[in-house]
Amino acid sequence: MEAMRYLLLFVPALLLTAQTPAAPKKTSAHGALTAASIPAKNFKESGSPTATVGVEIYTDYQCPACRQLYLDVLPSLVADFVATGKVHLLHRDFPLQMHQFSKLATRYANAAGTIGKYEIVANQIFVSQPEWELNGNVDAAVAKVLSPADMEKVRALVKNDTHLDDSVTVDVAMGNQDHLTQTPTLVIVAKGKRDVIGGGMPYSILKQYLNQKLAQCSVGCSLRC
Amino acid sequence: MLFALLIAGRLGIAAIFLYAGIAKDREPWLQFAVSIESFKIVPESWLEPLARDLPWCEIALGIALIPGILARWFSLIATGMLAWFLFIGIRAVAKGLTVDCGCFGSGGGAIDAKWFVEHAAMLALGLAVTAGEFLRARSPKREFVAEPTRSAG
Repeated sequence: MEAMRYLLLFVPALLLTAQTPAAPKKTSAHGALTAASIPAKNFKESGSPTATVGVEIYTDYQCPACRQLYLDVLPSLVADFVATGKVHLLHRDFPLQMHQFSKLATRYANAAGTIGKYEIVANQIFVSQPEWELNGNVDAAVAKVLSPADMEKVRALVKNDTHLDDSVTVDVAMGNQDHLTQTPTLVIVAKGKRDVIGGGMPYSILKQYLNQKLAQCSVGCSLRC
Repeated sequence: MLFALLIAGRLGIAAIFLYAGIAKDREPWLQFAVSIESFKIVPESWLEPLARDLPWCEIALGIALIPGILARWFSLIATGMLAWFLFIGIRAVAKGLTVDCGCFGSGGGAIDAKWFVEHAAMLALGLAVTAGEFLRARSPKREFVAEPTRSAG
């Protein structure tokens, strides 16, 4: 009887230790889509396209946690990994239905991207989020960082460009394939696997994770391998 | 009957811990680290070791609960962990933190009334099993030990 009980202890233990490490990571589900999902070089991309690790950041301009990630984490990420060519960064828009002015803010950011002012305007939209989310006056917030001439171009695009939301449609579709449940969400792409990480995080922990991913990607492995 | 219930309860707790551990282990450790961080209860330097090791501790505890060896002690550890999880949930809500539980992997959502009911029920089960296992261990006659038959002659 006692021997049977010990057997009961060890058989499941052996089975689990044998099986669990081999379990496929959830993140590999969209690995095959990686290459196709990253569009040709556009204003939402930065860093080397041949980087071994890719980071895709899904944000909603009216989401406070996205604001925190954008202002607190992104500058360090860009300085340490993107500017050094280690990581390829891609912004993705994922405006949530619950946020009244998010789509409008996204249109302003993408219109600014069309005239080469994406970074400065996206940054301004996040910085001034507590102001415009009260009344939807994104225009006034953006006007503070653009010249009058550029502002007129942006206004015209926001008002008339029927294709301004095309990239958003693609991003939302990709987000749905990534099973997004919240914003911000980071998708870390390495060795053809997509690690979907929902929620804000301190930079230190993201840095540890990225360094591990970079270490795993040995010579000859590219982002799309 | 009571012994059968005790075994069922213990296996139920084992299943909870096994499921929780395996669900977390199948995801990138960063996801669980993000969940732990949202509780604002441990320093950042603890996040990676906790996120990497806690799922395996849960799996080990789940396995240890199955055969019934040292069941009272493993039940006690499991109940202590369940009590701790409930406590940090209450603490997070009291502090107004927006937390992602991460209890059974990502997508668990925020801590709400349903979360409290579930965790209180799991804790109650843990307490009942632990009490039952200690009482059984103190009992001079364990129910599962067959009485020796004596011949009349």
